Amino acid sequence: MHHRWHRLLFLLTFIGTASRAADTPQARMDEKHRAFLRSYCTECHNANKQKGKVRLDDVSFALDTVQRADLWQRMLNQINSGEMPPEDAKQPDKLAKTDFLDTLSRTLVVARKSLGDVRGKITMRRLNRREYKNTIRDLLGVEMDVRDLPADGGAGTFDTVGASLFMSSDQFEQYLAIGRRALDESFAQAQVQTQKKRFEPETIVPGMKRALERMNDDHRRFTEWKAAGGKPEDLPKFGFRGDATAAGFSDSIWQGNHEWYERYLARPELQNGLLLENTMNETMQIAMDLPKDLPTGDYVFRVNVGLMPDMPTKRAFLSFLQASPLDKADTTFLASRHITAPLAKPQVIELPFSIVPDGPRKFIFMEKRSLYTHGFSLAGFTKTILKDPKDRDPVLWIDWVEWEGPLNKGGASSPVASLLPAANGAKDRNQARALIEKFATRAFRGNPPEPEFVYRLVKLFEARIKAGEKFDEAIKTPLSVVLAAPAFLYLQEPATDGKPRLLTDLELATRLSYFLWSAPPDDTLLGLARSGELKKPAVLAQQVDRMIASEKSSAFVSGFLHQWLTMERLDFFQFNTQNVADFETSVKAAARQEVYETFAHLLRSGDSLGRLLKSDFVVINGLLASYYGIEGVSGDAFRKVKVPAGSPRGGLLGMAAIHAMGSNGERSSPVERGAWVLRKLINEPPPPAPPNVPQLTRLEAKALTTRERLAAHQEEPQCAQCHRKIDPIGFGLENFDAAGQWRTGDSYWKRGVPGMREKKWDIDPSGAFFNGPTFKDYFELRDRIAARPEKFARGFTEALIEYALGRPYGFSDEPLAEWIVGQAKGSGYNVRTFVQALVASQHFKAK
Amino acid sequence: MNTPLTRRHFLRSASAVLALPALESLDFRAFAATKPATPPKRMIFLNFGWGVTNETWFPNVKKTGADWELPPGLAPLARHKKDITVVQGCSNKFADMPHWGSTFWLTGANRFGEPGQSFHNSISADQVAAAHLGGDTRHTSLQLNAPNADDGHGPGLSLAWDQRGKPMAGLENPVLVFHRLFSDETMPLAQRQAMLAEKRSILDAVTVNAKRVQRGLTKTDTDKLDEYFQSIRDIEVRLGKDERWLTVPKVKPPIAEPKPGLAGREEIKLMYDLIAAALQTDTTRVITYRQPVSTLLRSLELKFAAHDISHYGPGERMEASQKRDAAQSELLAGLIDKLKAIRESDGRSLFDHTALAYGSNIRTIHYLDNCPTVLTGGGAGIKRGQHLVLSKDTPLANVWLTMLRGIGVNTERHGDSSGLVKELIA
Repeated sequence: MHHRWHRLLFLLTFIGTASRAADTPQARMDEKHRAFLRSYCTECHNANKQKGKVRLDDVSFALDTVQRADLWQRMLNQINSGEMPPEDAKQPDKLAKTDFLDTLSRTLVVARKSLGDVRGKITMRRLNRREYKNTIRDLLGVEMDVRDLPADGGAGTFDTVGASLFMSSDQFEQYLAIGRRALDESFAQAQVQTQKKRFEPETIVPGMKRALERMNDDHRRFTEWKAAGGKPEDLPKFGFRGDATAAGFSDSIWQGNHEWYERYLARPELQNGLLLENTMNETMQIAMDLPKDLPTGDYVFRVNVGLMPDMPTKRAFLSFLQASPLDKADTTFLASRHITAPLAKPQVIELPFSIVPDGPRKFIFMEKRSLYTHGFSLAGFTKTILKDPKDRDPVLWIDWVEWEGPLNKGGASSPVASLLPAANGAKDRNQARALIEKFATRAFRGNPPEPEFVYRLVKLFEARIKAGEKFDEAIKTPLSVVLAAPAFLYLQEPATDGKPRLLTDLELATRLSYFLWSAPPDDTLLGLARSGELKKPAVLAQQVDRMIASEKSSAFVSGFLHQWLTMERLDFFQFNTQNVADFETSVKAAARQEVYETFAHLLRSGDSLGRLLKSDFVVINGLLASYYGIEGVSGDAFRKVKVPAGSPRGGLLGMAAIHAMGSNGERSSPVERGAWVLRKLINEPPPPAPPNVPQLTRLEAKALTTRERLAAHQEEPQCAQCHRKIDPIGFGLENFDAAGQWRTGDSYWKRGVPGMREKKWDIDPSGAFFNGPTFKDYFELRDRIAARPEKFARGFTEALIEYALGRPYGFSDEPLAEWIVGQAKGSGYNVRTFVQALVASQHFKAK
Repeated sequence: MNTPLTRRHFLRSASAVLALPALESLDFRAFAATKPATPPKRMIFLNFGWGVTNETWFPNVKKTGADWELPPGLAPLARHKKDITVVQGCSNKFADMPHWGSTFWLTGANRFGEPGQSFHNSISADQVAAAHLGGDTRHTSLQLNAPNADDGHGPGLSLAWDQRGKPMAGLENPVLVFHRLFSDETMPLAQRQAMLAEKRSILDAVTVNAKRVQRGLTKTDTDKLDEYFQSIRDIEVRLGKDERWLTVPKVKPPIAEPKPGLAGREEIKLMYDLIAAALQTDTTRVITYRQPVSTLLRSLELKFAAHDISHYGPGERMEASQKRDAAQSELLAGLIDKLKAIRESDGRSLFDHTALAYGSNIRTIHYLDNCPTVLTGGGAGIKRGQHLVLSKDTPLANVWLTMLRGIGVNTERHGDSSGLVKELIA
């Protein structure tokens, strides 16, 4: 029964779309604005007096061609920049100008959207970088580093939009090269042995003891030199090679640290393990330099680790990083682990990692801390900054570290494994041809290669054999060509212009699989496509459920959310550790993950999209719980946790990642946050930030509150047209600092401005939506937003359509969006219903 | 082939006769001694995202012509003042994205120019130049690029857009650039010939597949697939070149192999060294570089995000913005030093034969008018030592058109150009 409405509804959507397609809204300025033009423009820009070669008395109020839109765009730019009307001419009053600008900029957005509407046309696309990586993984069982391929996306679209995915000759060469290396890896991994090595970290203790002895010796000689009069020329006599400053510097290090070192090295726990200490300005790292010639593949680190008693629980986290092979100081955070076992009964934690060709071989373990600024600690640092022993005494005790791998044996686990080992004994061209055909069929997602193509690949193979290569080696050349062929690189759905057709089952399987997995269809999907079952609504719906339940749908969750919510901003700046000390790499990573995990939870459990607006639970792990001050959550797995009474958490607006994105790494930005809420949660996106509008930075050197500073936005109509909508929402979120921690006050001070005194104030979050309801604080603001889930659902649906169909969302998609939202509404905005409805729609199944 | 006798032909026949001579001794001057020739013209385009500090980068508009003063932001260029021209007043009139500092910089295109598309671009000035100058060099053009997404450049893979307005890839790693320019294949000739032959067979094979895929595609899809065909054609052209250059060893690099892992100021300096070296050895004649800003800031120990600095105000951020301007000008001055120090066959310097443009599509903050523009070098016959304040909203493409004409490209327009900038012509 569940499926009968499905079928009925396709029919409805199809009809709906057909009849509605014609009424794509046209961008049109209301006639009432002609008066504005007459009052302020046409005196100079008319038939007789075309000042600046611009005539506006006959301007078309329909923005229905690129030229007409461009003319209005120029008017907008001129008024925005304050060029027009000229200073000596009659000026419109502020409100009239604000409203005119507001209408015009919104009309232009509509015009651009309408003129750029692809009217449902899906441009054929190549695999984007994420999909390419996953496709190689599924095909050959190897993880490749694809950072050399150009990044996709840009131009404000998803990385699935074909029109924005280009191809170049360099890229073609890269595909050939990466494909070849992936084959090399896959073949090699099928044959390697698993290795295991254990490291006892206490072996470094003697070296540290020697370092302390040297430090003590330096100090002794320094004291003697001082006692002897402290003359610079005497320094060599006392064993110093540098000048007095250098000698003094090393002594100041002794002053600051020797006591601490003595105490540390005397600890009994160092006899059979290592305590990760914080003696200097730095946190001790255990760096594992793995052999350069280690075979590539999946590995695991195991660390036997325990906690020192009576230390703060917020320090019970171990971070795991990798160092770039080019620059060892350039580290990338990989994971963190919540340590819960006592030292007496340590726990073994596992950290999976990959060795990729030319990738990092150096891995680092350290306590999660944000202590290190940069450079060296000076005397007294540890005494003054880390006064509390609870902040600087060691917490983590490491008994041993071991690595093991490769575990997966790459090629052996891939679908083509069945054909590859057969190659070992093979000799002749017939076997080569059979292998090429099978491989290409798989690589082409079920479409067999044409004989002419295979013929040429066999020729390539033969040339290699003739040149003296063995079968295993010679076969890699044609196989790598398969991985650079268009049938592999492009998702093709041939169609005739102007006549939509239904996708074949194989095409449907591919579209579905790249939508929900960013990867090629698996055997189940291909099987259902071949048997013609897949197009049956019940089967299709069942497959969608299966795919969502699979771990592989994480690629959709992160790929979609990252782009939809514009989360790249999280990586735009390094968070200033002085302002937001706790928001270091591992917390930032967990905060980002919270967004994905929350959505994944809603999707997989069939919960409401509205939970992203407001929710009585959060999906967090131990690290984030510690950051949010939520008790009773331990371990690294993200799970549903009830929000304590009074906590601001729950929903996107309660998440650290969202507020960090709405900052500049140092201070919160009400403008970023307000605009983001309008774009993403309320689906009333303000027009893009216009060029050539005067900025507010002149106020930077003044000690003002944030509200006082942004009040200037209301002075000029050019600013007010958008900021009267944006800023109040941003002010309502000011209780969150730049890293999403709750605060009740804020302050302002600027280094380098003479005579500036720090300004402090209490945050006033109250306000009102433009032409809308008021709110007294964050909680009420959130309630107001959560009260309109249909707006949010609509924005989400539009993004989902664009992502899934790989084309910009246009006005011609409105009936589809309306229908999907309607379906979802019936289910209480069940996230899965959105996906199911979209897949069930005619649009998803047609080209 | 009935192309006129060129240096390349000479080298080819020379190498055939002399059985691969030590080419480093056969440098440009040695060659010129045999065949008097005017050194070729070269072009360099350098772009930084996020613009400059408005108050301190632009010269005083009241002092124009030859009588002008260097503002603080350009002060490091003092020793070259007589050789640089600062142009004010230019912009790309269709540019509307405050964060797209290079997407339309060299193209002057209308993003919305193509109905039914949300993004459109057209050929960039460097590629127009490359079509004219690039035929006789190993590389038709060279695109260098900073990979960081936070550098304010906007969509694109480098500054270059091909004749169909599609983005062209850029090289990001200086070490890779070095090897591409100067490292010789260690492989024996016969094996390299076999490789070229194999490459051709590979192209043939994928073309067969592409034709199959092409069957039954809509017009939009055919256009999309055409990018693939174009890539194949580009490689074929490159292979043709490779073949012609097969027996010509790569030129001995005038600089040492760079160290990996450099970032920011050092990286830009290195790329500038590579630019000078590539032009000096006539490995290519047209180079663009989409420069990094984020890593530059970090290397200057400025702890602000690049975008944030562009929204400077009095205080720390403005100081940071000014330091960035000065560092960029300093680097440019260093590049000019290098170009001036390299002698060419006619006894003049590489600088005298090079046309260089340096700037951004963004002035400052969100301003897209009066794009910062510095021109230098003698390659395009641009009047130097000038401060020009052109009438407001002069198409930036007029400057490119003037430069293109100056290097001998016979074209009437470029992008949205409305004519030559007469004041620029020496």
